Amino acid sequence: MKRIHQLISLIILLYGSNVQLTAQSYKLPPYQKFQLKNGLTVYLMEQHEVPVINVSVILPAGAIYDGEKAGLASLSATALKHGTKNFTKTKLDEELDFHGASINTFASKESAGLSARMAAKDKDKILNLLKEIILEPSFDATEFDKEKKRLLVSLEQQKESPRAVIASYFDKFIYGDHVYGNIVQGKISTVSPLTVADVKRFYSENYLPEGSAIAVAGDFKSSEMKTLITSLFSDWKKGTKPQVNLASKPIPVPAKQQVLLINKDDAKETTFYIGAPGISRNNADYVAIDVVNTLFGGRFTSMLNDELRVNTGLTYGANSRFNALKNGGTFVISTFTAGKTTESAIDKAIEVLNKLHSTGINETSLASAKNYVKGQFPPRYETAGQLAGLMTQMFWYNFDESYINNFEKNVDGLTLDKAKQIIAKYFPKDKLQFVMVGKSADIKKIAEKYGPVTEVQIKEEVKKAF
Amino acid sequence: MADLIANDSLALALIKIHFMKRTITMAFVLFTMVTQAQMKAEDVKTFTLKNGMKFLVIEDNSIPNANMYLFYKVGSRNEYQGITGLSHFFEHMMFNGAKKFGPKMFDQTMEFNGGANNAYTTENVTVYTNWFPSSATEVIFDLEGDRISSLSIDPKMVESERGVVLSERSTGLENSPWQLLFQTAQGLAFLEHPYHWPVIGYEDDMKNWKQTDLERYFKTYYAPNNCVTVISGNVKFDEVKKLAEKYIEPIPAQPAPPKVNIVEPPQTGERRVMMQKDVATPYLGIGWHVPEAKHEDYYALTILSDILASGRSSRLYSSLVDKKQLATQVFTNFGESFDPTLFIIAAVTAKNINENDLEKAIYEELEKIKKDGITENELQKIKNQKLMEFYGQVETINGKSNNIGTYEVFFGDYKKMFDAPAAFNKVTTEDVKTVAVKYFTKKNRTVGVLKSNTEE
Repeated sequence: MKRIHQLISLIILLYGSNVQLTAQSYKLPPYQKFQLKNGLTVYLMEQHEVPVINVSVILPAGAIYDGEKAGLASLSATALKHGTKNFTKTKLDEELDFHGASINTFASKESAGLSARMAAKDKDKILNLLKEIILEPSFDATEFDKEKKRLLVSLEQQKESPRAVIASYFDKFIYGDHVYGNIVQGKISTVSPLTVADVKRFYSENYLPEGSAIAVAGDFKSSEMKTLITSLFSDWKKGTKPQVNLASKPIPVPAKQQVLLINKDDAKETTFYIGAPGISRNNADYVAIDVVNTLFGGRFTSMLNDELRVNTGLTYGANSRFNALKNGGTFVISTFTAGKTTESAIDKAIEVLNKLHSTGINETSLASAKNYVKGQFPPRYETAGQLAGLMTQMFWYNFDESYINNFEKNVDGLTLDKAKQIIAKYFPKDKLQFVMVGKSADIKKIAEKYGPVTEVQIKEEVKKAF
Repeated sequence: MADLIANDSLALALIKIHFMKRTITMAFVLFTMVTQAQMKAEDVKTFTLKNGMKFLVIEDNSIPNANMYLFYKVGSRNEYQGITGLSHFFEHMMFNGAKKFGPKMFDQTMEFNGGANNAYTTENVTVYTNWFPSSATEVIFDLEGDRISSLSIDPKMVESERGVVLSERSTGLENSPWQLLFQTAQGLAFLEHPYHWPVIGYEDDMKNWKQTDLERYFKTYYAPNNCVTVISGNVKFDEVKKLAEKYIEPIPAQPAPPKVNIVEPPQTGERRVMMQKDVATPYLGIGWHVPEAKHEDYYALTILSDILASGRSSRLYSSLVDKKQLATQVFTNFGESFDPTLFIIAAVTAKNINENDLEKAIYEELEKIKKDGITENELQKIKNQKLMEFYGQVETINGKSNNIGTYEVFFGDYKKMFDAPAAFNKVTTEDVKTVAVKYFTKKNRTVGVLKSNTEE
């Protein structure tokens, strides 16, 4: 330990830098923000490195609005591309492909989104297609049925991969009845009965301009683009009734440590999460938590990865993260190991978590985490596509460029004392929630060590409640 | 950086490429269609050290960061039975301690200085990728110089790292049927050539690598003259050259590594293999033998690959997924290689469909192209797509480095990247038809089927 300390001091001396590397400060490029009469928020950012335009759209139409129809939000987003007022699906696909353009529609837990990319010279044509997709989808019934068939196979296929399903199980386990536990892709039993009528209703209730934003970044003139976007989207009608904010209901806090075991008969590995309630995106300590998490499980030399991969070779990788939504979130340690080393790996992960609380961190490792987070920051916002996505995130989570521009300063401002407070307040100590996917015959006894075990079969559907 | 595979065509590529740390979406080399590229040949400045390491430098100050990509010309094709998987394992060992920076110090030092890294191994090359604030450039050179010259292969680190790669292999097989499918089919398509075994290696070889194997491998292949380094970002050419001369030039060159002499004998009849895995519907993967990157047919084949599967209006997607509903997914894969490789078409069968019908339908689509060729409209479509792909590549410093390095290594000269527009523009609909006829024959194909019941 001391040797490492000395060596790092040596490195600092050698390169004549301070403990805190002062990187050239990254600032968000200038952008415009305005609102249309129907409430749609628009962001425009010029970027001229390549003659390409990127668009990101965010809509209040995520899985939290599924109700009992798990998978509806996601399928509705996909169905936007099944044809529009003036274009059949085939024609739409042909137009986009021919111009080397792309428009992707998707839904996640809280929101639905659209991302698009086009040559700057094609903006009139492709933005018009984009507008029809959002405002005038035809929701063709035949295409919907074909899509549903493909989705059902995909849902079945997911069960072949522990990694593909574990997050859904975990969310259901920890959020219980709260809408944050909704399964974005849906389940076979809930997707099978869906029809275009469901999609049309979902669309009319949730695809509303007043809760949405469109961000355009790329090679254009702002004044022209402002005119174009305004003319394309002004006809979008406001909603007739306000959306119910289901996510703002209280999130249940797990009362005890417990285990969910998902049996997969042919599993050779155990894939597992160890988690707990987390934070919402607008938490004032968000940046500080990011830095501390980087140290704990957010980079290669993290405490978790160092112990589980480098020191013991138990796994190819172990990490931790805070998944933050608007009203709450989760903290998750995530890794996997060969079936026979299940107990060692789980114990190790807990050991490292305990060490975080007991020994904590020191100045050197905190400085390292700060440098790392600052150093890896600019490449996250290098492309126009990344910048467009950032702007819709700014809308969704209600932050502005000061988050970006003050990022380095906020990282620098994190003291060791504050970091210790962060650990105590946000990183779990007990009442851990374990979710494991593996071969029950081999690991059930081990699972019982960590708490009362609920066992389910991967081939079954995720239950409504555990 | 994304750490999940976003789509299945990349899933195939990623299976063949083993990453050191976390899976990241891999961007492949793509060509530009413009006569005036946003990035020009003159933007790349080069120098070669006395020990033979060539450097390509691109100054780009769009973000205060830089990168350093080191392309070593060593991959699983350089192995033999008994040491399969060693190149990939070696890629792991390169992080585990050298002379100046002991075990773990490479990563700790780099991350302390704001940098991150990864590496990947293929059948052909091992590539080390470093991403850092440009203020840390000298540290990176120091780290690289140390491990290239004086890697220490500590038996304790060997053992723990062995566990890591075994975990990497196991988790790939656990989470994706494609891994098993392509490994097996490729093994059948190549009976003699070293592309026969997977990059990750055979499990038993992995358990039995010896210290002497590693030491010999390092000496043979990790020589500065066997490496091309690309640096893009907020750097100055003169400073990079000074650092290279200080930290890398003192490392002596080694004799040129042995050539791979094995040429796969011609395949004279179709090969078929089945694999059992508990899956929802059968997975299908078909590979045809096609030439290496330097061959004149490369461009036409690249276009054919996109005609077949790029986008929803592509031949295979439109017919198999959309109209006939025989498949739920379809994709192609054809990439750069040193030796003749495989052109792959892969698909997942739709529910209640017999995979034989899907297979037949794939051949029908190929026959259409062999008989009637493609349309001018389709050709123009692909050229438009390639241009957009190129813009995506050069929009990041990482894309620039990866593209330039891949060209230098696989095409023999980075300048060929800038000649590619002309090469692409030259390809006619007739050329695409010609390569379809030439390579997509029954005898030239190897078919892999992965399904739940292999007894029926």
